[in-house]
Amino acid sequence: MALIDMVVEKIVKIPLESKDKPDVLRELVRILKDADEIDDFDTVLKAVQEREDKQSTGLEKSFAVPHAKTAAVSSLKLAIGIAPQGIDFDSLDKEPSKLFFLLLAPPGQSGPHVEALAEIAKLAHSNAFCKALIRSDNAREVVELMKGE
Amino acid sequence: MNNPIRKIMVYIDGTEQSVTAAQYAVCLASFSGAELIALYVINTRAVEDLLKARIFLRDEQVEYEHDMEADAERYLNYVNELAMKKGVSIVKKRSRGSVNKEIVNAVNEDQVDLLVIGELSRIRSRRDEFYDEAERAMRIVTCSVLIVKDEDRVWEMYESLA
Repeated sequence: MALIDMVVEKIVKIPLESKDKPDVLRELVRILKDADEIDDFDTVLKAVQEREDKQSTGLEKSFAVPHAKTAAVSSLKLAIGIAPQGIDFDSLDKEPSKLFFLLLAPPGQSGPHVEALAEIAKLAHSNAFCKALIRSDNAREVVELMKGE
Repeated sequence: MNNPIRKIMVYIDGTEQSVTAAQYAVCLASFSGAELIALYVINTRAVEDLLKARIFLRDEQVEYEHDMEADAERYLNYVNELAMKKGVSIVKKRSRGSVNKEIVNAVNEDQVDLLVIGELSRIRSRRDEFYDEAERAMRIVTCSVLIVKDEDRVWEMYESLA
């Protein structure tokens, strides 16, 4: 499934309520749980935290891409969280992160996982687009922006 | 007139859509007598991009490339089984690099008459970032391209093949 096919309102949350990194990871995984996209909240959260412990996925320009490979999902799963106020995510540029793209993939789908992550990485290159996402009022607007509607 | 389709190439990427495309390609090869090639591209270009973007760590790069090698083997073997069950022989082919470029190169090298790919996303974002590798290949290959749709119908067709 292409990344764009996964972008629906139920996997988007704006604004995020978290104030720190552990909470934002929990909140992102909770989005997927509440959307019935995952069953095992704890296993997914552990996989995401373990990857984050190796090195933060907080990039530059307010962008963060937490990701993990876990058998707790049977297909690619995406959650998008936006925190206009910014959250300290131990990012590369030390600036608060505002756009969070959580991507989960099952073992055995490394190709589609890599391609989806690469698409997210390309989004981060567009300052104007990132700013537009951060200024969105609700999940519907985020979906419309992503789909270019 | 000779058979206009002597060589068919099906692109496999590990998605359900590509497996459906393989089933369709097996049916086509069986009906037409064309040679069938299954291609899997290990997307090392994307992995390198993710490393540069610092989304991947060095050990993740190694891990994912290893995983993709294993996926290539597994999916090509699976497609080979699909073909063998229907008495169709298949040439398994894999390469590494940028997916759309590798597909184009393989089509040219093997003088493929028809490229078969799985169903593309029904959503066409106007954002350039959301491009599909198979879609890009479809636009630039020199041979004709067939996009396979309707998984259930294809499965029935494949199952009914003697």
